[in-house]
Amino acid sequence: MSLHIFGNRLKCLLRDKENVFWTMLFPILLAVFFNLALSNVNAGESFQAIKLAVVNNSSFHNDQALQTALDAAAAGEQKLFELTLTSQEQAEQLLTEQKVSAYLLVDEEPVLVVSKTGIRESIIKSFLDSYLQTTAAVNTILQNNPNNPALLFQSAGERQNYLAEVTGSAADPNNILIFFYSLIAMSCFYGGFWGMREVTDIQADISALAARINISPQHKLKAFLSSLTASYLIHFSELILLLLFLRYVLQIDFGAKSGYVVLTTALGSLAGIAYGAFISALVKKSENMKVAILIGTTMFGSFLAGMMIQDIKYLVSQKFPLLAYVNPINLLTDAFYSLYYYDTFSRYFLNITILGGMTIAFCLGTYVIVRRRKYASL
Amino acid sequence: MIVSVKNLVKRYDDLLAIDHLNLTVHDGEVFGLLGPNGSGKTTAINCILALLEYDKGEIEIFGRPMKPEAYDIKRHIGVVMQNVAVYNELTVEENINYFCGLYVADKKLRQELVREAIEFVGLQEFTKYYPKKLSGGLLRRLNIACGIAHKPKLIILDEPTVAVDPQSRNKILEGILELNQQGATIIYTTHYMEEVEQICSRIMIIDKGRSIAVGTKDELKAMITLGEKITVESQRITAAQLSALRRLPNIVSAEYKNRLLVIKSSKGSNNLETVLEFIKQEKIQFGKIYSELPTLNDVFLEITGKQLRD
Repeated sequence: MSLHIFGNRLKCLLRDKENVFWTMLFPILLAVFFNLALSNVNAGESFQAIKLAVVNNSSFHNDQALQTALDAAAAGEQKLFELTLTSQEQAEQLLTEQKVSAYLLVDEEPVLVVSKTGIRESIIKSFLDSYLQTTAAVNTILQNNPNNPALLFQSAGERQNYLAEVTGSAADPNNILIFFYSLIAMSCFYGGFWGMREVTDIQADISALAARINISPQHKLKAFLSSLTASYLIHFSELILLLLFLRYVLQIDFGAKSGYVVLTTALGSLAGIAYGAFISALVKKSENMKVAILIGTTMFGSFLAGMMIQDIKYLVSQKFPLLAYVNPINLLTDAFYSLYYYDTFSRYFLNITILGGMTIAFCLGTYVIVRRRKYASL
Repeated sequence: MIVSVKNLVKRYDDLLAIDHLNLTVHDGEVFGLLGPNGSGKTTAINCILALLEYDKGEIEIFGRPMKPEAYDIKRHIGVVMQNVAVYNELTVEENINYFCGLYVADKKLRQELVREAIEFVGLQEFTKYYPKKLSGGLLRRLNIACGIAHKPKLIILDEPTVAVDPQSRNKILEGILELNQQGATIIYTTHYMEEVEQICSRIMIIDKGRSIAVGTKDELKAMITLGEKITVESQRITAAQLSALRRLPNIVSAEYKNRLLVIKSSKGSNNLETVLEFIKQEKIQFGKIYSELPTLNDVFLEITGKQLRD
């Protein structure tokens, strides 16, 4: 490696404001935007108690069992209902003004009055159905077998759950992490801008600068590798800054395996630079066209990896699983998520192996094209 | 012999860009490659530099075959490309230092060479400037400094004065002569015949990839029949006078157009005197009368039938 080329290249690249913006500042700005837009997503998924009005008439007063059941459902931190005891007229008005989801009128039997159908109304109805079934069952059993009613009431109040929830990880599932992980993956592939510039500056049939390097007594591939190393160092440093910003400013959780996160970022940066270099070497069109291809494919890959709409990621995984495995941005996103969520490394290593294979393919492809030292035309 | 090109052929699909070109450049000369745009000058240079693949031919520099991996040869060549090739992110001084560093590893020696190159092109006041802040002429000077800072034995300049103001052009041409006086052999391509006449010791005229004439400027001018061009500003010349003029000894042609009588004579003495005698005899009224020796454009015109700038 030529230290002279490496040092000057560092200077050159660090002063390339446009590339520094796209590869460092743009992802940070996007992360801030994501943070603003997504900060309430997880909070929005926590259950909010359903507002229910109950007509406070004599029938309700006499139905001790229903009062007990409703009081139980409206108590505690994870309460199901927020009750309002009121008159029928007031309950009707609250429902009209959509201040409650439904109101309950107890006559001979409890009647649920709703103004529309929806998940909240369905939950209230399920609760009421369950209550009516239980009271009906208890009444029937008492009529047929009046012995030991205390035991019956005890067992009727119990619910047996036959399914056990087992977590695969010590970490909590977190939907918004996918957005940030795919953002890091996208930033890794924005390293393609650096890779693209390196090829432009070494291929004499693309730029006059490259022709000047080619006629100097420097071995072309040695000069290319020296410049590429400078690009890699800058891009990897930018990504580390992004990780630090996400972790310590936006408080994004990367789990406990921080060493692997850095390692994954290092590979992601290499993959991104190799991808950009390959596109630049392969596409014999104008620089604008190459940039358009690089941005287009990176954004499309990020889209499929769930950066804009999270459900797309699952849709691709279910309907087009091969696409999920050939999309390097998805592989990186999943690698980060598996480091965060899973206790085992099997999924992580699978993704990293495929990504490593792709990186080697990009490097070999670039080498085959760039190694040429004479050109058919300039 | 510094450069030897034998039987060089380069095709771009059906287009024959270089057609069996033979060329030799001797030690210490300023060799001019003159030809109109698209004549194959830059293609020939790129082949000589082993940048371009060619179909046929042999190229030797310093007596050794020129190949992309001939680093020992490349070390002693300096190239100033037609297009300015510098880094916009590096200052004037950093650019020269960077390109010089591709040839010279010793940092102390390089510092000295960079300083000399900056002085040579007169960019002392602009060392901290970025290329975007420089005018076209200054940018060309930077381009030259980047190509010659390592003091090469052979310097190839490919149209270095295109789009340059007259002041910068003179500075560049003087600089090239100075480099030559310091011992460098120069290959200079251009389509400006005045530049070639001003600085080149030997000239090759090239057209459609073929060498059409080689020699010193006097040798080239000696190749053509035209010896002198006499121009007379006159209000009226009759057809009879014109035909009588054409019959005079050594007169090749005589044309009267836009009140200008242009007489071309072949080589020989007293041509102007003969014409003046005729004008006196015929009592032709005239304003100005002047005589010109043939230019390289006349050489090109006589050989190819077209102007150098066509």
